[in-house]
Amino acid sequence: MLEELGSKSIISLGNIGRFGRFVWQVMVASSRSCFRVSTYPLVWAQIHAIGVRSVPVIMITGAFVGMTLAIQAYDQLAGMGLEEHLGALINVSVVKELGPVLAAVMLAGRIGGALTAELGTMNVTEQIDAVRSMGTDPVKYLVVPRVLACLLLTPILIIYADLLGILGGYFVSVVQLEINSSAYWNFSASGVELWDVSVGVVKGIFFGGAIATISCYKGFTCREGAHGVGQACTEAFVSSFISILALNFAVDVVAKGIYNTFWTVKSLV
Amino acid sequence: MAEENKENIESNNKGNGDIVTLKNLTKRFGDYVVLDEISLGIEKGKTTVVIGPSGCGKTVLIKHLLVLLRPSGGEVYFKGQRIDNLPEQELNKVRMQYGFLFQGGALFDSLSVVGNVTFPIVQHYEITDWKKVEELVASKLAMVGLDGFQNYYPANLSGGQRKRVALARAIALSPEVILYDEPTTGLDPIRSDIINELILKLQRELGVTTVVVTHDMTSAYKIADRIIMLHHGKIIADGDADHIRNHPHPIVQQFINGQVGEDDLAVLRASGTLTQSQFLPRDFKE
Ligand SMILES: Nc1ncnc2c1ncn2[C@@H]1O[C@H](COP(=O)(O)OP(=O)(O)O)[C@@H](O)[C@H]1O
Ligand SMILES: [Mg+2]
Repeated sequence: MLEELGSKSIISLGNIGRFGRFVWQVMVASSRSCFRVSTYPLVWAQIHAIGVRSVPVIMITGAFVGMTLAIQAYDQLAGMGLEEHLGALINVSVVKELGPVLAAVMLAGRIGGALTAELGTMNVTEQIDAVRSMGTDPVKYLVVPRVLACLLLTPILIIYADLLGILGGYFVSVVQLEINSSAYWNFSASGVELWDVSVGVVKGIFFGGAIATISCYKGFTCREGAHGVGQACTEAFVSSFISILALNFAVDVVAKGIYNTFWTVKSLV
Repeated sequence: MAEENKENIESNNKGNGDIVTLKNLTKRFGDYVVLDEISLGIEKGKTTVVIGPSGCGKTVLIKHLLVLLRPSGGEVYFKGQRIDNLPEQELNKVRMQYGFLFQGGALFDSLSVVGNVTFPIVQHYEITDWKKVEELVASKLAMVGLDGFQNYYPANLSGGQRKRVALARAIALSPEVILYDEPTTGLDPIRSDIINELILKLQRELGVTTVVVTHDMTSAYKIADRIIMLHHGKIIADGDADHIRNHPHPIVQQFINGQVGEDDLAVLRASGTLTQSQFLPRDFKE
C-alpha cells in the first residue's frame, strides 16, 4: 500500500521532471527560432491550419457568453434599479474573464486535440524518430512552429471572442431587454478600460503557450496503438483545461497587484 | 554456453575494420531486459544482417547504432568516437552520416515525395540552387526506380513504393552507413526481392556499410556477408550464411527452418482437441 503510493509518486515526479525539461527545450528552441527566417513558413502553415478554421467556433462561443451574461445580470441589476449599468458588467466580464477562458477551453479542444492526435500518430508511426534519424531536432521542427503559432493566434482569437461577446450582450440587452442603446455604450465605455482588454490578451498568450506545449508533449509521449493516441488526446485536454484555469487565476492575482499599485480600484456601478 | 562465449569473443576481436562498435550494450525498459550485454562490431563496407523472432529486440538494437535510444549500460562507438553519451546537438552531426529505413517507411504524411526526399537536404544546407536539388532528388528517386513520382503523396503510394521513397530519403545525404529495419516485411515475394536487389545495388555502387534487421531468411541469405541471431537479448549465432545454415544450436535451426519449438507445441497440445462445441453455430444470434 505504502510502497505502491511511493512508486506512484516517484513515477509522477519523473513525469513532472520530463515535462519541465520539455518546456525548457521548447522555450530555448522557440526563442532561437523566432529570429530565423526559415521557421516563418512553418509557423505560417500552422497558423493557416489551426487558426483560420477556429474563427467561427470562437465567435459562436463569444456570442453565447455575452448573451448569457446579459440575461443573468439583468434581473440582479434591475432589482437595484441599475439596469442601465448592464453594459459595464457584461463587457468587463467578457473581456477580462469569460471571453479568454472559454475561448481558450474551446481552443484546447479544437487545436489541442488536433495537435496531440497529429504528433501522437507521427510518434507511433516512427515519423518523429525519422526526424531525429536525419539529424534534425524534432522540437525545433515540429513543436516550435506549433507553439509560436498558438502564441500568436490565441490572443487574436480571444479578441474575436470578445467582439462577439460584446455584440451578443448588446443584442440581448438593447433589443430584447430594451435598455437604452446609448446608455449601454456609455456605461460600457466608462467601465471597460484598456487595462482590462490588455489583461485578457495577455492571458491569451499564456493560454496559447500552455495549450500548445501540453498538447505537443502528450503527442510526443503517447503510447502505441489507436488506444494510446486517444488516451493522449484526452489527457492533453484535461491537463490544458486545468492549466487554463490555474493560469487564469495566477494572471488575475498578478494583474490585480499591479493595478492596485498604480491606480485606485474603481467600482463597476 | 562455451559456443556462445567463443562467438562473442570472435566478434569482439574483429576490431580494426569496424565502423560501428557496440560494447556490452544493455537496454532495459523498466525491469524488462531487452538487450543483455551485447558486444558487436559492424565491419565497414559489408552487409551485416541481424535475425531473430518478432519482439526479440531487433528494432531496439538497430536504433542504438545511431543512438535514437540511449543505452541503459555499455557503450556505442562510431568511427572510434564514443557517441552514446553525446548531447543531442552533436549526435545530430553523427546521425547525418547514417541513413535509416524505418519499418513502416515513416514518410511524412503531410509532405509529397519531393518534400520527403528533400527534407534532410533542406534541414542541413542553405539552398541557393533549387535546380540542383531537383536533379539530386530525381537521381535518388531513379536509384530506387521511382523517378516521376515526385508529386505523389505517401497516402497514394503502395507499401513497397513507400519503402522505396523512404529509402531514397535515407540516402539523400549520401550516408556511409545504411540501416534497414525489416525492409521486406509486409511485401509480397517479388517486391521483397526488388528491395533485396536495391540493398545489394546500393552497397555495390555506393560502397556503404549496411545493417539489416529482418526475420525473412530468404532475404538474409541473399544479402548478408554476416548473419547474427538474437535470442533473449544475447547473440547466439554469428557467421556467414553457411555457418548459420549448419549451426548446431536448436533455436537457430528452428528459426531458420520456421519450425515451432517442442515447448510451444506442448502448450498447444495441452489445450486439448477442438470440438464442435467450441465454435458458435453458423446461424448464431444473440
Ligand atoms: N519504448 C519502449 N518502451 C517499452 N518497451 C519497449 C519499447 N520499445 C520496445 N519495447 C519492448 O522491447 C521488445 C523488443 O521490441 P522490438 O525491438 O521492437 O522488437 P522487434 O525485434 O520485433 O523489432 C518488445 O518486447 C517491446 O515491447
Ligand atoms: Mg521491429
